[in-house]
Amino acid sequence: MNTRTLTLALGAAIIVVANAVALGGVAWNRSGEPESRLALSQRELAKTAEWRAHHEDSGLALSLKWRIPRAGQEAYEKNGYWSYGGSPSWLDERRLAELGFDVERAKAQGAGQQPYLRKSEREVLVVLELAGAAWEQALEGARRNLADKQAALAAEPDAEQAIRAEKQARDWLEREERHNSRLFAIDAGTDLAGLRAQYPDRSRYMILTAHLRLHRSANGDEVVLGGYLNTRAGHRINVPHALRGTFAAAPVAEAYEASGAAPFGVVLAVGRRLEPWIESVVQR
Amino acid sequence: MSPSTRSEAQQRVDDIHAFRVELARLEDEGVLQLERAQRQELTRHHDSVLDDFAVRFDIDRDTQARQLSLGMRVASFLGALALAASVFFLFYQFWGFFTETAQVATLIGASLASLGLTAWIQGRDASGYFTKLAAMVAFACFVLNLYMLGQIFNVTPSDTVLLPWATFAFLLAYRYDLRLLLAAGICCVIAWVSARVGAFGGVYWLSAGEWPEHYFPVGALLLAVPMLISHRRFAGFEAIYRVFGLLCLLVPMLILGHWGRGSHLDIDPWLIEGGYQVAGFVVSALAIWMGARRSLNDMVNTGIVFFVLLLYTKFFDWWWAIMPKWLFFLVLALSAILVLVVLRRLRGRGVPA
Repeated sequence: MNTRTLTLALGAAIIVVANAVALGGVAWNRSGEPESRLALSQRELAKTAEWRAHHEDSGLALSLKWRIPRAGQEAYEKNGYWSYGGSPSWLDERRLAELGFDVERAKAQGAGQQPYLRKSEREVLVVLELAGAAWEQALEGARRNLADKQAALAAEPDAEQAIRAEKQARDWLEREERHNSRLFAIDAGTDLAGLRAQYPDRSRYMILTAHLRLHRSANGDEVVLGGYLNTRAGHRINVPHALRGTFAAAPVAEAYEASGAAPFGVVLAVGRRLEPWIESVVQR
Repeated sequence: MSPSTRSEAQQRVDDIHAFRVELARLEDEGVLQLERAQRQELTRHHDSVLDDFAVRFDIDRDTQARQLSLGMRVASFLGALALAASVFFLFYQFWGFFTETAQVATLIGASLASLGLTAWIQGRDASGYFTKLAAMVAFACFVLNLYMLGQIFNVTPSDTVLLPWATFAFLLAYRYDLRLLLAAGICCVIAWVSARVGAFGGVYWLSAGEWPEHYFPVGALLLAVPMLISHRRFAGFEAIYRVFGLLCLLVPMLILGHWGRGSHLDIDPWLIEGGYQVAGFVVSALAIWMGARRSLNDMVNTGIVFFVLLLYTKFFDWWWAIMPKWLFFLVLALSAILVLVVLRRLRGRGVPA
């Protein structure tokens, strides 16, 4: 074999083997029964404004809109917003310690040099619940908020601020009932089997890989440790070519509510490697 | 001995030209006078060597050709980068209009076809410029290939992908004598080793770049390569290893010298910054010294650049706020003169600078 043929053979071998490994991984992920399979809608999956900016990218991807359960006043102010990450209240110091973080060490470090905190990011598994207790809680919060604002308005029927607040609360409840995402991050762990045993309903609880980073905050004199969750896997879910039609003309997430565009349903499957893919789409 | 690479052939051509000029000078000065037959034989031999090399290696036969050649090198470098970017954006523009099977077939097909094209062009391109263009496109196609598979099938990103990219780049670099591809392969290795070092220390691999110290092991590794493996057949390869190795040591030191919080060390950031400033001066001075001892211009120059950078940033820290500007710049100028004096002394001892 001369040098040129050998180079070609080696180069081709690298290309073929690398592709085989990558595609084999995809096949393995999608083989057998999916780890979870959830029926989502435009409330939980949407094109993002980022997509509009990439006009030279003909690919089409959707983002998973998931939320952080919040309590108290924060619930009214932030609860409807979805994001790629956040700090859930259930991710407290006890839970962080269970996840293997050295809470005392992280808290003991001075406010300046915090190498342990900076290198705290690690891969964990996050449980996303669809239209469950967390969403009910958010709905209940919005209803309570409306009742409060209506009571305030009844006490001062002519107060401009009370009128505006009551209208906002009504709009808010409507959004919560009809538009906001019903997908909430409710737990995290490192053991897939353990989490699945705890949340056995595979059509309601989706488990994805996420990244968790510690952060410190101060509550008066007390240092409080929290965790910031971020699911990279949900950032961009490619829409298969055969299913593009439904989404090609769909407005981006931020404009969906106002556009009056037809709702759609998406069956999202998550495989053995916890990598998601779109199985089917239903235009409603 | 017949040269096997273009750079060896070019070196021989340069030697012939230098010999001819010096011979003419010696004859003018009456030191040496060749006989007519000897001169004719010598000229005929050199001309046949030059003709042979021109056909086999597309060498630069004179100064004008060398200047044009430099322009061609720059053009082929920029062209290679632009062509690779063009391939990338071309696929991005249209990939969404094809089925997944067609997308995957196109990606793999493009990688294989561009590899074949590189081999075909290399057989017909003695200069190597067009081979470089084709090889860069082949590398871009392969990078795009694996990257897009990840996007199409929502694969979780992994640093492992850097290994096949590096292997492919090294194959093209060593087979076709391409420094640009060697640099690409080295960049992949730097990213992979620093990610692994970070993961070993408990840092998530995508965050590994936030810790400058993760680049020290790969820096040492890259500096060791030319010491352990001879690259005589590959002109400029050892220099690339050394420069990247020094960059992996000195850039993090420069950063940590001003950002102690970026360190793994759990001590006062002020101490960390001071320590890395000293380390930066020591390593860059060592690079100058070792480069000078071994006649390695690349090492000397990289060392000088970082020594001066470290010095000027320190001057800025110390004096910018407290000195009148004219005095600050005068100090800079005096320090530059001092560097010149030191380098001239080194050159006087027969050391390259």
